Amino acid sequence: MIIREFGVRQGRKALAAPLRRGQQCMRALSTETSGTPVATADPAVEAALQTSPENPTVPSLFARTAKPTRRRPVAPDTTKADWETAQQLRHNLRNVGAQVEHRYSPSDVFRNPPGPKDVTLELLMASQAHMGHHASVWNPANARYIYGIRQGIHIISLEQTAAHLRRAARVVEEVAYHGGLILFVGTRPGQTQIVTQAARLAKACHLFTKWTPGTITNSDKILPGLPVEIVNEHDQPVGGFNQHLMDRRALVPDLVVCLNPLENFTMLRECSQANVPTIGIVDTNTEPTWVTYAIPANDDSLRCLAVIGSVLGRAGEAGQKRRMEDAKNGKVTWDTPSEIKQFMDIQQKRAQWTKRAAEEEAATKDKSGGLNGKPSSGSATKDSEVFDESMQKLQMEVDAATADDVSPQLRKMSRRTD
Amino acid sequence: MSSLRTGFRCLRDIRQTGKAATAQWQPTSTASLAYRPRQATNATRSITTTATRLAETTTEIIPSDLEPADQGRSAVVQVPYARAVPVSPSYFSRKPIFNDAFVIVQDLARKYARLPIIPRDKVTPTAWRTKEQYRLAVGEHVKGRDYATCMKLAKRLNQIHPDLMPEEVTAGLLPFKREVNYYLNQPKIQPIDQYGRSHGVGKRKSSVARAWVVEGTGEVLVNGKPLSEAFGRVHDRESAVWGMKLTERLDKYNVWAMVSGGGTTGQAEALALAIAKALCVHEPALKNPLRRAGCITRDPRKVERKKHGHVKARKMPTWVKR
Repeated sequence: MIIREFGVRQGRKALAAPLRRGQQCMRALSTETSGTPVATADPAVEAALQTSPENPTVPSLFARTAKPTRRRPVAPDTTKADWETAQQLRHNLRNVGAQVEHRYSPSDVFRNPPGPKDVTLELLMASQAHMGHHASVWNPANARYIYGIRQGIHIISLEQTAAHLRRAARVVEEVAYHGGLILFVGTRPGQTQIVTQAARLAKACHLFTKWTPGTITNSDKILPGLPVEIVNEHDQPVGGFNQHLMDRRALVPDLVVCLNPLENFTMLRECSQANVPTIGIVDTNTEPTWVTYAIPANDDSLRCLAVIGSVLGRAGEAGQKRRMEDAKNGKVTWDTPSEIKQFMDIQQKRAQWTKRAAEEEAATKDKSGGLNGKPSSGSATKDSEVFDESMQKLQMEVDAATADDVSPQLRKMSRRTD
Repeated sequence: MSSLRTGFRCLRDIRQTGKAATAQWQPTSTASLAYRPRQATNATRSITTTATRLAETTTEIIPSDLEPADQGRSAVVQVPYARAVPVSPSYFSRKPIFNDAFVIVQDLARKYARLPIIPRDKVTPTAWRTKEQYRLAVGEHVKGRDYATCMKLAKRLNQIHPDLMPEEVTAGLLPFKREVNYYLNQPKIQPIDQYGRSHGVGKRKSSVARAWVVEGTGEVLVNGKPLSEAFGRVHDRESAVWGMKLTERLDKYNVWAMVSGGGTTGQAEALALAIAKALCVHEPALKNPLRRAGCITRDPRKVERKKHGHVKARKMPTWVKR
């Protein structure tokens, strides 16, 4: 929209531009005359520069009235150099002065995670594993883990905690040793680092967001098409299982470690339905029968959870290490899952029959080619009959194999062969 | 270990699994449909070929049923041990791609928390992915709260001094940035042609004006006619050259313009826009006063369409009692 008042009010002031004679390019005028806010150069300086002694010009109104801008000189950016100097100084002065004994830092447990061998009553006490809930909210099933009541709250017996923690560590280690899939779950805020670190150590899975109900019992709907790979005994991915990976069902963990069972009742229930063993940290108000292997400890202290998580993670790490060493020596500690085994059998048999059919066909071709140059249709039908018969046999074998272990996609696969 | 679960399999409720098999495996069966056309092509080939080749095609069906990658897989089947493992440790969270990236960002934020940062307004403008764009790019329904938490950390990491920015931070933030940083786009510079003309296009209502501006003595030709003939109203004449008049360039440039469509007001104001744009090519410093005079902004108002049930765009028919 054209604003006509603008010209009356400001146009003359903003553009005091007398036309100069003798200029080659008229459009060059605007740079010296327009006192517009966009002009970033210092107008006073510019006016002085443009006034040459042989051709004196009247400076524009704006340039005459304008004051030279006062700008601070830009200091060079020395952030990087300063930072490096500070680092160097810190390094040099580290050993100067009094030696302050290092007692505790919250990140210690992540920098140097304790293993099952480091579990002591002192460590557990220091990390407040013994603090239970108020005596009024207790679950009587935990009576055997409780040492006593102090100032109204239950005190968990740390001997029990240590014993159960060692047992749980052993379970994790053996599951890892036997090539099981471990899942660390901690869904309260602040437990992400604990869970991810434990999973990283034990080459396991982690979950720090809400457990989607049905991830185990309805996994075909909840986890379809999430990437899964097939690995051999050295944990190297092997190819050729594309068909199987497309058809197979979602994975189910072989062991679940839960840091907060109280909020994950659904998950523990699903695990018990699917016969998945669980390890859980059981506070004095938690039902210990929800989990398979309970660790009586304070589940409200992140420090305690970090210790327990790192102990279990280290145990898993030890199990994985043992497994890899055994695999190197030719000892494989796990069996191929039945669905993969059956897939491999079917593939093998198919390959055999294809090869045999090709051989027979080649033989027929040779024979007929030697006779009259045209393959006889009779032998071809005979071949196909033989082939059908063999495929039927294979079908029956597959059916027999799948009868005890109901796997729908295997059935479908076998159906596809005929 | 997987044998542990299978060992207990006899205890499981088989019926439930069987029931589930019919319903929940339907998607996979539709996915396997992709292989059927290959069989069909084989069948059509068997129709077109002679009877002697029938046996050949029958045997061909079996390998074609398999994956093409599996064709030369006799070595693969020989693998003595194979088990399935998830690719991502966040497998059971349903959002593995986001959660993996989120864990990386959290770790980086913790690791580089002490590096010096620069103020937010000094950071090079970055085009971040919005939640919806990230969902589209990754294909996971990421929760808004999680994404906001992640973006807060990512923006803090992006504030690290550019001279000290570690490589892994740049790599870790990459999934949350857009491919094209539109903040770095530069406007295209309009050229002045070999005859010293600049070209501008302006629109208003339904009029379109094209103006060529050249240095001169203030002659204006609109559709081949001088300004006084082209526009009968003085007001229209004034608005057509308003930008030049305001900046006192009326006697320094010649204008040759073509206007079409609409009425006189629309044509005059379209011309004002076109001339102002062309003038800016000659003298970029004039853009600000021209903008404040209202000569640079396109007026988006158009005739509103008529609606059914209305007499005009909004006018309702007169209410008549029966």
